[in-house]
Amino acid sequence: MSTPSLPVRALDLLASEWTKFRSVRSTYWSLLVAVLTPVAVSAVVAFAFTSARNQGPPPDPLLPGVISLEYALIAVSVMGVLAFSAEYSTGLIRVTFTAAPRRRAVLAAKAVVLGAVTLAAGELVAFISFWLVQAVLARHRQGVSLGRPGVAGAVLSAGLLLCVCALLGLALGAVIRHTAGGIAATVAVILVPGIAALLPAPWNGRLGRFTLLDAARQVSALHPATNLFSPGWSLLVLLAWPAAALAAAAVLITRRDA
Amino acid sequence: MHQPSGAGVIEVDRLSKRFGPVTAVDDLSFVVRPGRVTGFLGPNGAGKTTTIRVILGLDAPTSGRALVDGQRYDGLIRPLRQVGSLLDATALHAGRTARAHLWSMAQSNGISAHRVTEVLRLTGLEGVARRRTGGFSLGMKQRLGIAAAMLGDPPVLMFDEPVNGLDPEGIHWIRGFFRELAAEGRTVLVSSHLMSEMAQTADHLVIIGRGRLLADLPTAELIESSARRDVLLRSPRAAEMAGLIAAGGGTVTPQDDGALVVTGLDAAAIGDLAAAHGIAVHALVPRQASLEDAYLDLTGESAEFRAGAMP
Repeated sequence: MSTPSLPVRALDLLASEWTKFRSVRSTYWSLLVAVLTPVAVSAVVAFAFTSARNQGPPPDPLLPGVISLEYALIAVSVMGVLAFSAEYSTGLIRVTFTAAPRRRAVLAAKAVVLGAVTLAAGELVAFISFWLVQAVLARHRQGVSLGRPGVAGAVLSAGLLLCVCALLGLALGAVIRHTAGGIAATVAVILVPGIAALLPAPWNGRLGRFTLLDAARQVSALHPATNLFSPGWSLLVLLAWPAAALAAAAVLITRRDA
Repeated sequence: MHQPSGAGVIEVDRLSKRFGPVTAVDDLSFVVRPGRVTGFLGPNGAGKTTTIRVILGLDAPTSGRALVDGQRYDGLIRPLRQVGSLLDATALHAGRTARAHLWSMAQSNGISAHRVTEVLRLTGLEGVARRRTGGFSLGMKQRLGIAAAMLGDPPVLMFDEPVNGLDPEGIHWIRGFFRELAAEGRTVLVSSHLMSEMAQTADHLVIIGRGRLLADLPTAELIESSARRDVLLRSPRAAEMAGLIAAGGGTVTPQDDGALVVTGLDAAAIGDLAAAHGIAVHALVPRQASLEDAYLDLTGESAEFRAGAMP
């Protein structure tokens, strides 16, 4: 028997995880919710901004689209958590690890499959929401076009949010190994740091700049907030959250008995 | 192609596994060889599953090691082609079809879709291949687990309590299946807590209790030793009888309660001997220990020893 090369083995694992991913219904339900909810919400949010006559235009013409994307984060987080927790709760993880004893490679394969799908879904939602929101704002002469400098980059960056939350969920699912606990932890990690916004200035900005959601808004804004990190640094903060969680998962996954 | 020495051999070497204060496996060593069915026997909680998990690289040993073909399991490149295993047949995603389950496993080890179809046919599951496993009976799940173990056509196979949940027809099928695998020269390790089950399936037995090795011997040898027959004799003139029996070629073991246990002479010969000398006999009972008794003796002793060793 010839020994397959490393790239071949990596492709084998990717194919295997892709088959697992697309062969359960929860994948499709989660994706459907993750795509349809923000799209539906985006138009409503845009109307809300324009119909509040005493408030004037939204502070940032891209904000309604970004806010609506945040309505998808629970659905993709659940999808991420389930990728591992469903295997741990059924015992299937032992089948997976006997077929592929290099556990970090399994983690990486799951991350690539989930990351690619949620990135595609996130970008799809970001652009559909953008067009819907701008269509509404345009009726009040508040819209911006994709061609305007900085807009396309901000919309692309907004699309990252779903992938970031899904990977965070994947990592915490691998660390916590229970579905309910994994979902609770993921949602908490995403939302709880948001209390920084309630702190008095300048601490709201000094701490808020490290939160996942503020970083996500900062990278997706046409007019970034001045009390937070620059969009470039915020992008690093945004990516650091799932990266740190995945690193923790990579350490624990090989240390613990399956 | 040259077969390296140790091909298909499972080697457990001074293996210990502790979970906190609990010692599940305690300095266990044994070797499983190809070409025969090896029964891995012990009462529930004896450490069988833990041992198998360590062999499969799922649990890290506290000390010692377990090797397949002289290698640690996590060093195997495409493990399903070298070791097939069934740990828990119910470990399935209820929403996934049988075929998708097997196909995802096959892909991870570079195994073809054609082979998936083959193992489905081999286990009689081709008719339900596209059904979600949530609706499967335990017996069907066991068959699916066996199909998964056979995916890589591996020379080494391990099954943890595979008979649980099977109907009599399934049990009959699986016994024949294990024998066939062994006859093909494969290494087959089957765990069970039932001696009666293993007596009919295994050629060789590895018996453990409380994580320790109790016996490692051919099944035939255990059967032979347990098939020892004796006769229990009670008589008011026991001492006289003992002399007569010894003179007649029998062996006498006096019991605490005054009874005699006789081997080497059957009940009829002893009765005739007593009658010829006019000695009254109050009891004359031919006894035969079963294989189950031999097993209980072994595992019971380990429990007693352990209880006695407690501070």
